[in-house]
Amino acid sequence: MFAYLVRRLLAVIPVMAVVVTVVFLLIHLIPGDPVSVMLGPDATPTQIEATRRALGLDRPIHQQLLGFYGRVLRGDLGQSYFLDRPVVTAIVERAEPTLMLMACAMMVAVVIGVPSGIVAAAHRGSIWDRTLMLGSLLGVCVPGFWLSLNFIYLFAVRLGWLPAAGYASIFSEPVSALRYMVLPAVSLGFNQSALIARISRSCMLEALQQDYVRTARAKGLPNRAVTYVHAFRNALVPVVTVIGVTTAVLIGGAVVTEIVFNIPGLGRLVISAILRRDYPVVQGVVLVTAATYVFINLLVDVLYAFIDPRIRYD
Amino acid sequence: MARRSISLRLLTALTMSALLTFAAAPADAQKKGGVLRVGNLGEPPALDAHWTTASITETLTNHIYEGLFSLDRENKPTPMLAESYTVSKDALTYTFKLRQGVKFHNGKEMTSEDVVASLGRWGKQSIYGKGLFTQVVELKAVDKYTVEMRLKEKSAIVLISLAVPNNFGAIYPKEIAEKFAPEVKTTEYVGTGPFKLAEWKPDQYIRMVRFDDYKTRNEKPNGYGGGKTAYVDEIRWVPVPEVATRVAQVETGELDFADDLNLDSYDRLQKSGSARPIVSKPYYWLVAVMNKKEGLMTNQKLRQAWQAAIDIEPIMKNVAGGKSELYRMDSSLIPVEIPAWHTKLSGLPWNERNKDKAKKLLQEAGYKKEPIRFMTTQEYKWMYDFALLTKQQLEDVGFNIDLQVVDWATLVKRRNNSKEYDVFTTGIGAIYDPYHAVFLSPNWPGWTTDEDILRLQAELARETDQKKRFALWEQQTRQFFEKVPVIRYGDLFGLRAMRNTVKGFNESTERIRFYNVWLEK
Repeated sequence: MFAYLVRRLLAVIPVMAVVVTVVFLLIHLIPGDPVSVMLGPDATPTQIEATRRALGLDRPIHQQLLGFYGRVLRGDLGQSYFLDRPVVTAIVERAEPTLMLMACAMMVAVVIGVPSGIVAAAHRGSIWDRTLMLGSLLGVCVPGFWLSLNFIYLFAVRLGWLPAAGYASIFSEPVSALRYMVLPAVSLGFNQSALIARISRSCMLEALQQDYVRTARAKGLPNRAVTYVHAFRNALVPVVTVIGVTTAVLIGGAVVTEIVFNIPGLGRLVISAILRRDYPVVQGVVLVTAATYVFINLLVDVLYAFIDPRIRYD
Repeated sequence: MARRSISLRLLTALTMSALLTFAAAPADAQKKGGVLRVGNLGEPPALDAHWTTASITETLTNHIYEGLFSLDRENKPTPMLAESYTVSKDALTYTFKLRQGVKFHNGKEMTSEDVVASLGRWGKQSIYGKGLFTQVVELKAVDKYTVEMRLKEKSAIVLISLAVPNNFGAIYPKEIAEKFAPEVKTTEYVGTGPFKLAEWKPDQYIRMVRFDDYKTRNEKPNGYGGGKTAYVDEIRWVPVPEVATRVAQVETGELDFADDLNLDSYDRLQKSGSARPIVSKPYYWLVAVMNKKEGLMTNQKLRQAWQAAIDIEPIMKNVAGGKSELYRMDSSLIPVEIPAWHTKLSGLPWNERNKDKAKKLLQEAGYKKEPIRFMTTQEYKWMYDFALLTKQQLEDVGFNIDLQVVDWATLVKRRNNSKEYDVFTTGIGAIYDPYHAVFLSPNWPGWTTDEDILRLQAELARETDQKKRFALWEQQTRQFFEKVPVIRYGDLFGLRAMRNTVKGFNESTERIRFYNVWLEK
């Protein structure tokens, strides 16, 4: 197991090197210029040149890239042009809201997704099955953006139950933090629950057709025990994969949710950084996101071994 | 009897309600306290007024800093930190007397050395400052409260340049003005304004709190100028990038005010019981800027054909979401809100809707359906909308328009490069003096290099007699519609939303200000 972990971790290095380079080139190759954005549309060319020099943007791109490699190796992601602070600080400040949102959305997705998949499978073809699967079809189809705005309109503007948008830290104001988190977590989680529900259902169906289920039934075990103990545990492995993938998808989905609900997280940071051409911030956030993604995949692989003792990595 | 008692009761009720109204009147008086939460669309690139023309920086910094002059309700210069000024007989020396006892947020008194240092920096970085300082020979402190400005030649733009609120001549303490080179944005924020910066958490909020030692002018509030009182304890500026969320948060009371809304939320706000829409004017006149340095649009006939072809009213109506309250048909290059420069000329070739004329001009231009690169962005919905409608109208008369939709950052970068486009969209906001009309400048994207236009602009900068200047400006306007450096569409208005609990807000300034505003909660 340990050797496996080391191998996997080493494999991360080339992946990250490619990510770093591609991100750097992509953001520098798209047209647009942080200086024109910052100085305002009416700035004169001489003014723009002076500021470009001050930021080191007048240097050839390969020099800038080499400098960037050097800094990344030292754990320094550079200084944001726009925010007047190191990129690492900016990311750390924005990490809490995003992690919080992802955790809550994940919870919503799992709490809705897994049980509805199981119930639908256990009562295959029944009205329950159809209703739940129709619900999950809706979940896949409805754009998160549209759902979010309608949630705001219904629960915040019309009913006044919850705040429309904003964020509070769970550590300083736990109650209002939860109130702020309900709508974004549900709208982000609902979308993701659909995929989880569908996968859970099909895995459950597969498990329910296995020999050991027939044996268990033949032994006279109650239906409930057969479904929820014998079949469920075995159906879990692919579901865990999907949950892992979902986490990665959530990072992307969180961008839209953070914008609509005005949550000061990494998604919002990266979008505003792209619009402002704040190169160091875009590079930093994408780098951190990619690293998270790789790490989650690794975690999922390791989790398999715990869920299914037959899986061994040696 | 029963009847009488009813009318008696009615009478009593009426009296009571009248009494209550009277009783309520004093309660409507200004109240101190509270936090005013304002939602706007983004994060300022800097809180250095000298450094950027970004409108969000303009709005924020005008609460923290002040200049020697400001604009009154007619958008004419009015003294702010200056007490008074005199102009020498030859009109080459301006002497400014400063107000005494004005304190910076750090407790230091504002004096002439701060003014000299700040305006020196502003003159090197700000587009308005640089414009003025090409004419300045010397700026010096005569004594603690007197500053003298000597000019090369007669100038009409001294006071107005010191008064424009955008990229403005904010007075910083000398130490800060000298510490930060003009091309480097300041990171210390000390001004003389009614609010001082308390905390800035990027993308979360900017907190400004009342400056208790603020020394107000004795006049009544007047436009951007006059007396300023900070009634609210704190202004909390919250960037809310999604416009639909900004509207919702005003409705729920999470925000007291929201700026820069999409025009389609007008109806919804009018129906709201707790908030109302505010139409902001001037906002922008829509403009298609022609590249006159190289490419197809250097051909004046082609530009004239564009001007002749378009039917402006349906375009404006569409951009304004069908609401006639939200746009205005006007050909003056400076909006009516700046009465000193609003022209009422007739017979201009504006909004001619003349397809035959356009076709004839296209022929004379020798145009052979070459694609015209028309650059716009969806980041500002109105820009995209008017570009799209223009494309349709122009193609009806035989233009071939290659609409290039890019993001704003790309547009502002590309428009500086004459090789990359033929036309781009933007908006022209308030212009407080004809000299500041960027679209008539050879340095602004699109590059108006026509000799006759530039000659008149130079005369406008030198001529100091208002009547003669206005005549020159009318002449320039006629010339504009003949030479067509850019295409002037109609005036579009902006939309804001305000809770009913916000009182004292001045609705008639171009940008929002929250001094003299209080909360009724």
